[in-house]
Amino acid sequence: MSKTALILGVSGQDGSYLARLLLDKGYTVVGASRDAAMSTFANLEKLAIKERVATESVSSTDFYSVLQVLKKVRPDEIYNLAGQSSVGLSFQQPMETYESISVGTLNLLEAIRMLEMPVRFYNACSSECFGNINGEKANEQTPFRPRSPYAVAKAAAFWQLANYREAYGLFACSGLLFNHESPLRPPRFVTQKIVREACEIKLGRKGKMKLGNISVIRDWGWAPEYVEAMWLMLQQEKADDFIIASGQSYSLEALVETVFSSLGLDWRDHVEINPELLRPTDIEISRADPAKAKRILGWKAKYAMKDVAFMMVQACMENFRK
Amino acid sequence: MIKKALITGITGQDGAYLAELLLNKGYEVHGIKRRTSLFNTDRIDHLYQGPHEENRQFVLHHGDMTDSSSLIHILQKVQPDEVYNLAAQSHVAVSFEEPEYTANSDALGALRILEAIRTIGLTEKTRYYQASTSELYGKVHEVPQNEKTPFYPRSPYAVAKLYAYWITVNYREAYGIYACNGILFNHESPIRGETFVTRKITRALSRIALGLKECVYLGNLDAKRDWGHAKDYVEMQWMMLQQEEPEDFVIATGKQYSVREFVDAAAAELGITLEWKGSCVDEQGVVVGVKKLADKQFDASLHLRPGDIIVRVDPRYFRPTEVETLLGDPSKAKEKLGWAPKIPFASLVAEMISYDMEEARRDELCRGKGFRINTYNE
Repeated sequence: MSKTALILGVSGQDGSYLARLLLDKGYTVVGASRDAAMSTFANLEKLAIKERVATESVSSTDFYSVLQVLKKVRPDEIYNLAGQSSVGLSFQQPMETYESISVGTLNLLEAIRMLEMPVRFYNACSSECFGNINGEKANEQTPFRPRSPYAVAKAAAFWQLANYREAYGLFACSGLLFNHESPLRPPRFVTQKIVREACEIKLGRKGKMKLGNISVIRDWGWAPEYVEAMWLMLQQEKADDFIIASGQSYSLEALVETVFSSLGLDWRDHVEINPELLRPTDIEISRADPAKAKRILGWKAKYAMKDVAFMMVQACMENFRK
Repeated sequence: MIKKALITGITGQDGAYLAELLLNKGYEVHGIKRRTSLFNTDRIDHLYQGPHEENRQFVLHHGDMTDSSSLIHILQKVQPDEVYNLAAQSHVAVSFEEPEYTANSDALGALRILEAIRTIGLTEKTRYYQASTSELYGKVHEVPQNEKTPFYPRSPYAVAKLYAYWITVNYREAYGIYACNGILFNHESPIRGETFVTRKITRALSRIALGLKECVYLGNLDAKRDWGHAKDYVEMQWMMLQQEEPEDFVIATGKQYSVREFVDAAAAELGITLEWKGSCVDEQGVVVGVKKLADKQFDASLHLRPGDIIVRVDPRYFRPTEVETLLGDPSKAKEKLGWAPKIPFASLVAEMISYDMEEARRDELCRGKGFRINTYNE
């Protein structure tokens, strides 16, 4: 019998890649979105899997909605990728950020417990939880020091999950994913913004690109391979939390340079630094040690920042040519 | 200029002590209480000033931590110099039964106030105190715990408080609000909530000593806690808001006792000596000696004899995930603020027993005269 997976946040970048991965593995995939009838599922369409994913309307902040969908779908695996996903926006919408991330996770955990389902649960946590750790590489033992309402909400969700695992024995895992990008990233995220605007500059459609703090250092990976790590976590004997990252960090400046040079341009001719784009608090350096994922899951990133930048530029230029 | 303080959770233990402290310091004290059909102001009734009194220094407002507009409205009206956020669903065991409500009042409650301060434009003016908790340390990474010890929350209560802790830090760093966390270890008093283990013990043993009750059921007797007196701790809450720079502090005694030791100390206050027999869920506190007292009103020997079992374990009080040990290191509070707890453990227990004995004696008297007495149950 084929397994059934429920993906909350299926319309997003990770949800769409994960849906494709699970379909390829023979799963029945049910995707949940806040309003499935109104959602275009453009990402599923881009991956040409929209017809193969059944969809349900679920709002994870509504406990009854969560209960209903779990009873109806009876999934073997649940992937909770839903929630407000922008660090910048979380300063403007701290409450919604908490509710969609933290209350949403809590509702899922509570519903699983209440229905006594033998389900396996993956929850999308974030490298943002670590905050500034003096340039050290974060591992699974590194204490959290969140620096945005988004990160604080994700930290709360992480501990809720850990508590339900310990208190009630749920098979539940948090993936501490570092930045992961793809052509499906929305342009609100800095990587896609840079890629898209650089392509527009290349095509003569745009003048200058405005950026905030380009000295920040991040570990950028390739989203399509990160969703594989999510799946692997739920195939282990023991539920555990894992850092998922490429293990290589670069400055935003290096990313900008890579993007522009892959288009044959010098970034210094096209970029303006605008301090208004700075966040109230930001993380300077983010570095990861994904050794545990390699040791236990056998997962290792094939791509790092440069590959990611090239692939995104390629996809974007192709898109523009269409 | 008279300073104005706003206290959320003013009807609770800490709220009452803090209100008294601030009134003595000349503050105008405003408190937020929830509307309920039952009176819930016994702890602050002695401070109450009616709406018709002139120059009121103590004002209560109806509000709720889960209602943003009520909080904005009160902050707007009061324009406080200091806000003490003590309101919370504060019971760890209950948080396993009501995780969402706990998150809403404890985690989002803190966010709502911080956002209200920002929205109203009080960022420069208002100082914010967040009641954080030793439960954040949970399954402790090190002993004792200080301000640098990483957190490991073990209950929905602790996770909600973790959010409140970090969002307080974030609003301090992001917007420059003078905001502090007090990481308070357990703090007790005669007005501690009746369902918290210390008060449950002192109330029950007092009633057992006077023959109003036979036995008390407790949960994990091995749990070790750092118990201080709430009166000492609220002073530290105020001190944290009087510094040049906002910082977070551990507030603790640095000494630790198990629940069993607390029971022994409370029994000893009543002249009762206990022996512990059996183990785990079968453990029992058995009376081995009762001191005869000259004052019959306090004489437990009239009601108890050796061999009576007055403490039993009920696994219903075990938590899905237990916090076994908490011990605070208050060095930073001592070094930077010169704070040290004044009331030792023995005096705390003695004060609680004396208060609960008075209540038990009143009930005994009423019962003797044929009046119905309330037996409160959880």
